[in-house]
Amino acid sequence: MTKKFFLIILILFPLNAFALIEVDITRGNLDPLPLAVSPLSIDEKSRLSLEEILLKENIGSEISVVVENNLKTSGLFNPLDKNAFLQAPDIAHLKPRFEDWSLIKAQALITGKVNYVEDKLRVEFRLWDVLAAKELMALAFTTVPTNWRRVGHIISDKIYERLTGEKGYFDTRIIYVAEEGPKTQRIKKLAIMDQDGFNNKFLTLGNELVLTPRFNPTSQMITYLSYFKNMPRVYLLDIETGTQEVVGDFPGMTFAPRFSPDGKKIIMSFANDGKSDIYTMDLENRLVERITNHPSIDTSPSYSPDGKFITFNSDRSGYQQIYIMRSDGSDVKRISFGNGIYGTPVWSPRGDLIAFTKMHKGKFYIGVMRIDGSGERLLTENYYQEAPSWSPNGRVLIFYRETKTDSSGKGFSAKLWSIDLTGYNERLITTLTDASDPSWSSLLSN
Amino acid sequence: MTLSKIFKNTLLVLMACIVLTACATKKEVETQTTTTTEAKTETTETKAETIEPIAGQMQGDVYTGTDSVGYLAEGVKDRVFFATNESILTTASRETLRAQAAWLRKNPDVTVVVEGHADERGTREYNLALGERRANAAKDYLMTYGVSSDRITVLSYGKERPVDSGSTPLAWSKNRRSVTVKAN
Amino acid sequence: MHVLLIFITAMSLPFLTKKPLDIPPIVSVELIQIAEKTNIPYAPKAKKTIEKAKKKEKKLVSEQAPPKKVKKNKTKTVVSTEKNKKIENEKPKAVPLPEKTVKKIETKEENKQNPDKVDTKVKQVSEFEKKELVDTNTLQGLIDKAKEQESAEIVKKNNQVTQDQVRNIENTGLTLSEEDALKAQIFGCWSIPLGLPYNENLLVRIKLELKPDGSITKTEILDHARMNKPGQGFYKVLAESALRAVKLCQPLRVPSTGYERWKELQLNFDAREMLEG
Repeated sequence: MTKKFFLIILILFPLNAFALIEVDITRGNLDPLPLAVSPLSIDEKSRLSLEEILLKENIGSEISVVVENNLKTSGLFNPLDKNAFLQAPDIAHLKPRFEDWSLIKAQALITGKVNYVEDKLRVEFRLWDVLAAKELMALAFTTVPTNWRRVGHIISDKIYERLTGEKGYFDTRIIYVAEEGPKTQRIKKLAIMDQDGFNNKFLTLGNELVLTPRFNPTSQMITYLSYFKNMPRVYLLDIETGTQEVVGDFPGMTFAPRFSPDGKKIIMSFANDGKSDIYTMDLENRLVERITNHPSIDTSPSYSPDGKFITFNSDRSGYQQIYIMRSDGSDVKRISFGNGIYGTPVWSPRGDLIAFTKMHKGKFYIGVMRIDGSGERLLTENYYQEAPSWSPNGRVLIFYRETKTDSSGKGFSAKLWSIDLTGYNERLITTLTDASDPSWSSLLSN
Repeated sequence: MTLSKIFKNTLLVLMACIVLTACATKKEVETQTTTTTEAKTETTETKAETIEPIAGQMQGDVYTGTDSVGYLAEGVKDRVFFATNESILTTASRETLRAQAAWLRKNPDVTVVVEGHADERGTREYNLALGERRANAAKDYLMTYGVSSDRITVLSYGKERPVDSGSTPLAWSKNRRSVTVKAN
Repeated sequence: MHVLLIFITAMSLPFLTKKPLDIPPIVSVELIQIAEKTNIPYAPKAKKTIEKAKKKEKKLVSEQAPPKKVKKNKTKTVVSTEKNKKIENEKPKAVPLPEKTVKKIETKEENKQNPDKVDTKVKQVSEFEKKELVDTNTLQGLIDKAKEQESAEIVKKNNQVTQDQVRNIENTGLTLSEEDALKAQIFGCWSIPLGLPYNENLLVRIKLELKPDGSITKTEILDHARMNKPGQGFYKVLAESALRAVKLCQPLRVPSTGYERWKELQLNFDAREMLEG
């Protein structure tokens, strides 16, 4: 009887009885995703040919190491120890035995193959979801063999994008100032390298002091400050042709240059009679426009990604603080109000944040704040560090850090570092010499 | 741009604040002629550290020693020193610059470069501007004492050419300077 | 006001190293296949044409079937069984279930039934489970802590809505402890993708169909239309991570009774709290 009654209720109120139970999952682990980068397989003939050209015993393994290092340094992935891999690279690339890979706790698997065909390096790779037991992506690249590191970076970017939903930042370069010699007579050269520190090249000889190089949006041009003939001026350098020119014809020091987001203008400071104002020069028609006009020091300008606004630092309040204004110089508004003084604002490529250097009680910080000045977050503290530059996807900042000298004035060093927007994953970027003033390029591919 | 501040007492802090607000522009700096020796430095709104002055070498945080000082001519010092983040000329600085101006008037063929420098405790770009401002403070003073502006070039090095590579308040004070150098 | 300065023509300066920096030529990209994962299953007809096309052009490979350039003869039978399974899954709304998991469960069960067949594989599986248990235990501790913080609220709720709660248990809901056990388990399995933009809506809802032992027979992403919208690339990543979590957690820690209540279950994965905090 009761059973029947129950049944009737069930029939009458089926919705109620079988309403879907919902469970909210609001927590998970934030550990880097464990994944396996299987060495790229290579046939013996290709291996021998490529060894002759590249002087690398197994270019397949070398490329997979590039990928592995990139993914690891991102802090988002945890490449697992290759010694634990059960399946041979060539077989895994054809058809991974997902049980084997999930056994070592890999959630994603990267496999690949290298060939040497018609004087070209051909690299294919596949990305697999181990738990869902399926392929997520497969691509192949053909290029000259000497480009092998770039192939590794492009693969890393593809994997990063597929697994995070954001563009990667591995196929990029860093322009920076290489430093040598005693602190009082420092020799500085422009240098360029891959994002991971490889393929370093010097662009100037060090006869003149050079400072603050910055890429244009296509990463073909650099604007920087040079003391050529003891006249500190902003220069433009085409890194492909090596040609150079002074930007504008100013009767005094121009400095703190950056490109506009469309690459058509250079924005910079011009110092005259004890005050510094912000100017732009149009690279097409060479017209110079004055943006700020104030008896204070206005410098370190940086455009918003849409080009409509400019952030800069000014000491018009008495001390260095961060301001924003429209790109025509109107509506100047101070946004930094925390304790301490603020400099080197840089607008993030996503547009929602401004990175800066903060000085407070004898310490230097790299931080970010929203464009209205709210939500200030300090990412790293040190004796001296400044000049953050954003990765093209707006997730990582690169900056330089100097050490304190000892009582005899020795022990000085300047190095490049990177840190995540989250404040985690701080890393030293290895350079041949001391280094400062880094600037991150855009993604070179696409 | 040292953040470690040198203050004898809070009264001085207040005075410095008042003075500095008045000194927001260069013109006002020029009219400021009497109180500057007391105008101790002020970089941030938050400073409390008191450091014992290094006897005979610093007043406030302005260098007063002779180490590293060169000579433009016999008895004419080549450089003047500044407080942190400041371009105000001290009494001693004005004395030095008057001597330079007098010598330059006697030697009308000489042209000079006034080099402005900052210490290492500031962002590079701002320090370039600060060095330029300091060099101009010296240049303007030379001009008021009769040296024609076309004989003086200013050149800022920011923090790129320190004379003392130390990371101490004393070293920084030596580096905050403008140096008058013969150009011909 | 005063500045309109004329640019001095380009001068090549002596201090530059003369040789231009050689930028390597841009890598040519040859596309084998981008398996865009979609949750809209192929209509059977479309699938057939794809299968046909595959035979003609090896490069075009559908995502469900891993490329089989080699070993064609051997894998043929496998393909056909996979096909059948896929067709089974292709009811309207259905999400293609990765066949592998189903297989895995089957093999596991077989192993249990025939203890004679126990080999190294099974051993490894048990190790795997052990480790997992440790993980969830530590996590349980964390949850307990969190529960303490919320306890005041819960007590309040209990006092106020006991009646409702009773009804919940009878008809629809899980008890708090049942829900907590399940949550704790899934918390431990879910690797939140760290690159997600945290100022976006990071909620993904997944519907599960369960067996009485807690193993999963079907998963469905409820807002899968969002997956392929422009600018929502991160949503796909998030959804995939949720699916991985569910798979990693199998069998789910479900109540021992009342199968009818929870044979269908909706999990709302929301990463925002974790990424913001």
